[in-house]
Amino acid sequence: MIRVNNLCFSYTKKPFIENTNFEVESGEIFGFLGPSGAGKSTLQKILTGLITSYRGSVIVNGEEVRRHDNGFYENIGVDFEFPSLYEKLTARENLKFFASLYNKHRDIDKLLLSVGLINDADKKVSDFSKGMKSRLNFIKALLHDPQILFLDEPTSGLDPSSSRVMKDIILDEKTKGKTIILTTHNMYDATELCDRVAFIVDGKIRALDTPRSLIMGRGASKIAYTYLDNGREVRTEIPLCKTSEDETLSRLLRENRLLSIHSGEPTLNDIFVELTGRQLQ
Amino acid sequence: MRIGKLLMGDVHFQFKYGFYFIYFLFTILYIGLLFAFPESWRQKAAILMIFSDPAAMGLYFMGAIVLFEKSERVLDSIAVSPVKPLEYVLSKLCSIGIISTVVSLAIGIPAGIVTNPITFILGVFLCSCMFSAVGLIIACKTTTLNQFVLATIPAEILINIPAIIWLFWYKESWLLIHPGVSMIVLCAQSGGAFPALIFLFLWTALFVFIACGAVNKMLKSVGGVKL
Repeated sequence: MIRVNNLCFSYTKKPFIENTNFEVESGEIFGFLGPSGAGKSTLQKILTGLITSYRGSVIVNGEEVRRHDNGFYENIGVDFEFPSLYEKLTARENLKFFASLYNKHRDIDKLLLSVGLINDADKKVSDFSKGMKSRLNFIKALLHDPQILFLDEPTSGLDPSSSRVMKDIILDEKTKGKTIILTTHNMYDATELCDRVAFIVDGKIRALDTPRSLIMGRGASKIAYTYLDNGREVRTEIPLCKTSEDETLSRLLRENRLLSIHSGEPTLNDIFVELTGRQLQ
Repeated sequence: MRIGKLLMGDVHFQFKYGFYFIYFLFTILYIGLLFAFPESWRQKAAILMIFSDPAAMGLYFMGAIVLFEKSERVLDSIAVSPVKPLEYVLSKLCSIGIISTVVSLAIGIPAGIVTNPITFILGVFLCSCMFSAVGLIIACKTTTLNQFVLATIPAEILINIPAIIWLFWYKESWLLIHPGVSMIVLCAQSGGAFPALIFLFLWTALFVFIACGAVNKMLKSVGGVKL
């Protein structure tokens, strides 16, 4: 669905995105992870045809992006990080207007219902909370039933239940065969939603794999336990695979002297820090 | 057709954002003012009013519309939609051109200057589109209302002054090449309507062409690149 070969682009004379290569299959959720200014949004703008002055090849939906015509956008939906809505129009009026720009569109009421906005459909957008605007903006990207969805921080600023609803809709779109590009610095969303993620720092892809492979490949699961030793609390951490070899742990278990015991895996954030030396959030 | 839907969207937007209410107030004010003038002044006053307001209002309204769209980030969504720059420009120009023409007829008919409705309507509509295209070009390059107002001053001077000179003092035929003069000739039906129509059409087409380029650049700059 998306094929990027030797992509190079810079806003200035200094190189930024250089010789980037990746592919995204149909029906895949692909995440761009990186700190602010890493180049995630720039990559998204290239893929959505907003930046065409790149070098290399970027094929989206079988079309070289720099040569796209406006029909290209019939199959692309973009949910920007910040709402792009007419504030004085109602939610329904906004959706009706944007739907009218495309050849086909979904049922507006069903979309409003899916994100819990059906009762606010005839309210002006200026009266909406930030979360409501984000949800409306999100369904605006789904309006014309695009084959490829670009979602920029879709759960940013949402309460946990709204965030859950959005994530379920994203997963539902995946089951319908839609290709989804998720741009985020939220490692939990990326771990939960993405089939594969690309770590981007300073315009370069530093790692690209499934979240599971990245996590398991770089750092083993660990066990951390605490116990009292001469009245002082001691905390020890061992790799999960070395559990049977740890004499102290065996003894503490036999003597029922453990104060606490936890197992844990490194998070994507830990892996990101390890690989790039930078923080995601 | 997408342009028809865009046009409906623009009319709806302008109605909701109070632009039509402002037009309505101006119409009432101008008609009232017109009948306060002595009868001998009425025709010239009506032409001046139509030229300086319903026709020219597109210049300011276009600034307000585009700056609203910029501030509400709506252009981001337009940039990734199938809308072409020409469709965007034509829909904006027609939406303002239609209401300008209606208001001009409302002022012109009581003033008795609409002897040939076809040339009158063409003159006002084309002139309104031209002013709106100029407003659109300026609005594409500005980000605040202050910047926009300052940038319109040279355009206002260049379009208005020769037209006012023609209306009151200097009626040389070569001035017909000026778009403001062409519009006045068409509205006043004072002879030379055909060349005036050609000149006004050419000016309007030129500014529409430039406006398309400016809109294309503006939509691309949503992507963070100044081309």
